Amino acid sequence: MKKEKLNNLAVAAIICVVCICLISVMFMQFKTIEETDITDIENMREAELRQTLAEWKSKYEETAATLEDTNKKIAEYKEAIDKDVKASKLIDEELEQSNLAVGKTNVTGEGVVVTLDDGEYEDIIAGDLIYLINELKYAGAEAISINDIRIINTTYIVDLGGFSYILVGDQRLEAPYVVKAIGNQDYLTSILNMKDSGFIDLYKNDDKKVKMETSSKIQIPRYNGEMTYKNMQIKEEEK
Amino acid sequence: MNKKEIAITLGIMCLVLTCAIVIQIKTMNTANSTASQTLRDNGLRDNVLKWKEKTDNLSQELKTAEAELERVRIEATQNDTTASAKEEELKHNNTLLGLTNVTGAGIVIELQDGKSGSSILTVEDSSDKLVHNDDLMSILNELRNAGAEAIEINGQRIINTSSITCEGNIIKINGERIGSPFTIKAIGSQALLYGQIIRSGSYLELMSDRGVNVKSVQQQDDIVINKYSGTINYKYMKTVDKK
Repeated sequence: MKKEKLNNLAVAAIICVVCICLISVMFMQFKTIEETDITDIENMREAELRQTLAEWKSKYEETAATLEDTNKKIAEYKEAIDKDVKASKLIDEELEQSNLAVGKTNVTGEGVVVTLDDGEYEDIIAGDLIYLINELKYAGAEAISINDIRIINTTYIVDLGGFSYILVGDQRLEAPYVVKAIGNQDYLTSILNMKDSGFIDLYKNDDKKVKMETSSKIQIPRYNGEMTYKNMQIKEEEK
Repeated sequence: MNKKEIAITLGIMCLVLTCAIVIQIKTMNTANSTASQTLRDNGLRDNVLKWKEKTDNLSQELKTAEAELERVRIEATQNDTTASAKEEELKHNNTLLGLTNVTGAGIVIELQDGKSGSSILTVEDSSDKLVHNDDLMSILNELRNAGAEAIEINGQRIINTSSITCEGNIIKINGERIGSPFTIKAIGSQALLYGQIIRSGSYLELMSDRGVNVKSVQQQDDIVINKYSGTINYKYMKTVDKK
């Protein structure tokens, strides 16, 4: 009787130990999965790797082109210093390029025009426009406007007055919203039309009315306002 | 009676162990079939790392060249008041564009994907606990609404052309992959930014209610936001002559 009880105890203990082992192995497994950093190169699959490789190559080429351009400018400035002539033409060119990038000039170029209008039951909301702008930027849009309000880096888009108005920057806009974007026409249209993820495809059967047209001569006005900042300061590079 | 119980327990144990072994073997088999692919992957991986390093080196070189350009530009314009005013404007533009490192007061938000619930049965709403690209877009919009002057998410400076997209379970900003945890830095009026982000009904509150782990929202005085690391090129738009 006593011996049998002891035997039982031993069996129970063994089972217990085995169970603990198994459970800890499982937890270790879970932990490894959780700690895997999905953004790390080490964990990418073949297709992802190919894509990343292509991205780095094009980034390299872009950087090389910019470097060459910068070196050229340095040489020109140095020449101006050596010959003691005015560098005003050089700086004018640079400033022109930089004003274009900031959005201080009226611009033209090829691109797309997306028109959004309220549906029978549902109105266009700020979220629709935010989503569209993000997708246009992803597709390489260089300049964007909503109802001829130029979108710059600090532009916000919020709903106002029970969704019937949308505030873009500090301007109150009403439907229909005409969104213009300048960029590579083919790239813009293919991203927006992409099945199941493109903006146009997603709103295809929606109550809200969305349509896209391409144009080879889109005009986008300059940003109409002051571009200033007062809270940030340039931090000089540490030598 | 007792023996029977023991036999049953041992039987179950054996069954469980056998199942585990079978699963393990199956996984091993699939792993084996991808072994040759892994080898090819490694070649690719080396290539990716090589190009990344090359690009990083070139970026470093570009950084030096840009500093040099600024130096010669100042030198070339110092004796000419109109030219030096233009030099100042150029610098102002570059700051607006995100091409300079900046510092100032503002807020720092830290977010993390929420832990999926204790029970495996709640799989369907575990997606709610994750930080998605549209969440970051909404927070960005709120920060801009509160007058943020410079914004950075996980080291990626938000510029004019930055997009936040989602590919599978990876978020990309400026074409670079980022993942949880997220650190969002914004320079601007502390009171406005903080008030906007923590007000009741703010987007951050909605996210927190959904189960996203909002670790902290802090007001800091010396936030440093680095410049955009890529290059900006415009190919399609041209300035129209103002008449």
